[in-house]
Amino acid sequence: MARDHILVGLEIGTSKICVVVGDSKPDGSIKILGVGQAPSRGVRKGEIVDFDTAQKCVHEALVDAEEKSDVMIQSVYLGVTGSHIASFNNRGMVSIPEEQEEITDAECDSVRASAREVSIPSQNMFIHSILQHYYVDGQEGVLNPVGMMGHKLEADFHIIHGIGTRVKNAVRCVKEIPLEVEDVVFNPLAAAQVVLNQHQKNLGALAIDMGGGTTDYLMYVDGAVRQSGSLGIGGDHITNDISMGLRIPMARAEKLKMDEGSVTLGMALPGETVTLKDDSGFAGKEVERETLNTIIHMRARETFDLLRRQLEAGGDLHLLGAGIFITGGSSLLRGIDHLAQEVFELPVHITHAQTMSGITSAFENPQFSTAIGLIKYAQAVQMDRPSGWLSKFTQKLPLFGRRR
Amino acid sequence: MIEFNHKQQLLSHGTEQIPIKVVGLGGAGLNVIDRIVLDGAVPGADLVVMNTDVQSLTSSVASQKVQLGRGVTRGLGAGGDPELGLSAADESQDEVRKALEGASLIFLCAGLGGGTGSGAAPMIASMAKENGALVVVIATVPFTFEGKRRGKQAEEALLLLQATADAVICFDNDVMGEAVAPKAGIHQAFAAADETISQCVRAIAGLFTQPGILHIGFDDLCAALRPASGVGRCLFGYGEAQGDNRAYEALTRALRNPLMDRGRMLDEAHNVLVNVAGGPDMTLNEVQMLMGALAKHTGEETQILFGAAVDPSLTGRIGVTVISSAGMAYTAAEAVPQFVPRVVPAPVTAPRVAIPAARRKAEEEPEVEAEPAEAAAPSYAQDIAPEPDRVPAAASADDDDDEQTSLIDLAPPRRERAAAEAHPVPARPPRAPRQPRIVSAATDPAQAPAASRREERQETLQFEPVTRGRFEKSEPTIVDGQDLDVPTFLRRNMKVS
Repeated sequence: MARDHILVGLEIGTSKICVVVGDSKPDGSIKILGVGQAPSRGVRKGEIVDFDTAQKCVHEALVDAEEKSDVMIQSVYLGVTGSHIASFNNRGMVSIPEEQEEITDAECDSVRASAREVSIPSQNMFIHSILQHYYVDGQEGVLNPVGMMGHKLEADFHIIHGIGTRVKNAVRCVKEIPLEVEDVVFNPLAAAQVVLNQHQKNLGALAIDMGGGTTDYLMYVDGAVRQSGSLGIGGDHITNDISMGLRIPMARAEKLKMDEGSVTLGMALPGETVTLKDDSGFAGKEVERETLNTIIHMRARETFDLLRRQLEAGGDLHLLGAGIFITGGSSLLRGIDHLAQEVFELPVHITHAQTMSGITSAFENPQFSTAIGLIKYAQAVQMDRPSGWLSKFTQKLPLFGRRR
Repeated sequence: MIEFNHKQQLLSHGTEQIPIKVVGLGGAGLNVIDRIVLDGAVPGADLVVMNTDVQSLTSSVASQKVQLGRGVTRGLGAGGDPELGLSAADESQDEVRKALEGASLIFLCAGLGGGTGSGAAPMIASMAKENGALVVVIATVPFTFEGKRRGKQAEEALLLLQATADAVICFDNDVMGEAVAPKAGIHQAFAAADETISQCVRAIAGLFTQPGILHIGFDDLCAALRPASGVGRCLFGYGEAQGDNRAYEALTRALRNPLMDRGRMLDEAHNVLVNVAGGPDMTLNEVQMLMGALAKHTGEETQILFGAAVDPSLTGRIGVTVISSAGMAYTAAEAVPQFVPRVVPAPVTAPRVAIPAARRKAEEEPEVEAEPAEAAAPSYAQDIAPEPDRVPAAASADDDDDEQTSLIDLAPPRRERAAAEAHPVPARPPRAPRQPRIVSAATDPAQAPAASRREERQETLQFEPVTRGRFEKSEPTIVDGQDLDVPTFLRRNMKVS
């Protein structure tokens, strides 16, 4: 299947819709063929609120990507997010029948099923169940139990779930274009695949994707996903705060944030001002720089504080050996790494997609981390299970914990 | 700061052990006392509960209990009827007096609006006064949803209390309700209110018992509690913090108290009492920083009554108490202080004659007809205000003098304030004080107060814009009871630009 080498990631973001077309090489590397994007409308906090408008934007972005990569896009991996998405860790357990001594794939599947036997709200659906560790007869650190002998197989899973209708809305939006959706992927899971390498995952790392509408995070400890989630605050909120605080239109606030904004306080000279130019280039309102930075700082700090609180509830924050990796559009805010470092008291890096080849400008921009990550995720899934994955929509594959 | 020296002298007599009694009256008062016991009692204070309802008395953990109106209510509650509450207190006068004996500072905690609280509180306050104690009344005004009638009863009781007690701290339950997360249970809402009151009692008691470098005295407290206009709503905040940035943190916590309206209300306050307590390691620099940060919240005209105390038990920490008051949007209340300066010079006998009449009027038609009662309020309030009520002639002579002199002292600034307050309201000329009175005497008494009330509301609305801008129509992101779509700086009450 020649098409299988072409992988497409689609992220319907709050600020932009982004389509990345990549070529998966047999040696596991990925070459970016093209990136299409369109400004997003009708999306708030990572979720579609205006179906028709959003669909038009998706269409625009797809056309753009097809033109740039010279590929007919037929199916995509779709990234989803939203504060409704939640996660937890659960352990599944199966007994191996007496007459059978060896553990087979069937047992691996049923241990996954048993891990899912927990009550999530009835409206919710499973998005991922990601394998953390296997235990065979209580023995820890088993990477691949297939072929081993044992009586009891246990496995820890990180289960990500979200409100079914909201996830399906995004899927429907794409399917009506029409386009096949091969899989839905929780955004930070995708982003983490490209901003973190295996070494960092083993050491313990937290990937934070600060987007326009949401701040998503995913934590790896010991090479396995430990915590993940999404906070409904993003760059949009900062822009909104500026717009309301300084009484300027949203578009102007956005530009001001990108051109002049910083989260660092006390750096501006007392009384230093920024002049807002209006559309015709004439000098308009004057804004005190410290005021602008204070507004941004308050929001950013609060976001990190909330994140820290959520992560501390899981109690794994001290296990992050490699530190924190921030990506996404809002990571471009000046000084955000220092602020994060101050809040989390851990080393913080601003990163973008690594280990890619092709259009450099694409993968060096943190804005595209998630979309590129979708391709990486797709590649890993396809390598894991060369066939038969298409029909199983909700039953996700064990990811990255198991490599044959 | 002449006041300061004066007071320091006063307190140098018997600073260490002032006999304090904390009295909880009625159901709400009982809850507060229980909370005070739970929080660790006010050091050196006796806790007394008084109620008509025997059942709630028995369940209270206070050491001293007084049943009011054995004969009148036969151990049941007052059933929301202040008159019954009053006659119950009347019946048990001797017991109440006995219970109040020997204290020189009495906190009277009551929830106004009900029978026992509203009815008995003024009487008990005056009995406490007769015993020669300073009386601080800590009252709560009912939630709006409890109905207009209870609100009215509370308002009337509050006016009487204001005339009787040395200081009235009034908490607005509606505001206290904001203290808790929207999802919190109702018991938590009430518990939070009780906790704030308990903190307040402790903080005020602490003001007098802690050895102060700069001591805060009762006159400072009274000044801080005297609102710019009308029956004051108490602004109270207490915060404690440790660590490097403890001074700033403590202040932030104090201002975060919902009664402070997130620090916003201080802007309108005219006297703000600030007491900073810390261990021996508290530095001048920290205090300076703290006061600097507080100054951002207060207006330029605001008088800051500053106190500092060193308490070894606070080592490593700093506690900040901020007390002030702001006018409430109550119609009748609004009119009262504006008259006070004018009435003061009047012959002492005149108001005394007037009181019974006014009171009788209030008792006869307390809230049957809402409108006339409201209109009548200014007139009787005016008579009562300068004169402690129900005080037998002999005991009250000295008090009268004190009260009058202090009122005269304060008269000019207060009149200015009234003018300043009136300024944003366009309909009323700056020199308005007399006008409402004329209107109330005219044929259509209800209109003027109603109109001014409406304007008042409009004003407050502008002060609290709850806007979410771009996210107005999207589903709110609520974490820990906060709507995160509202800009952070608005929620934290930062002044921008």
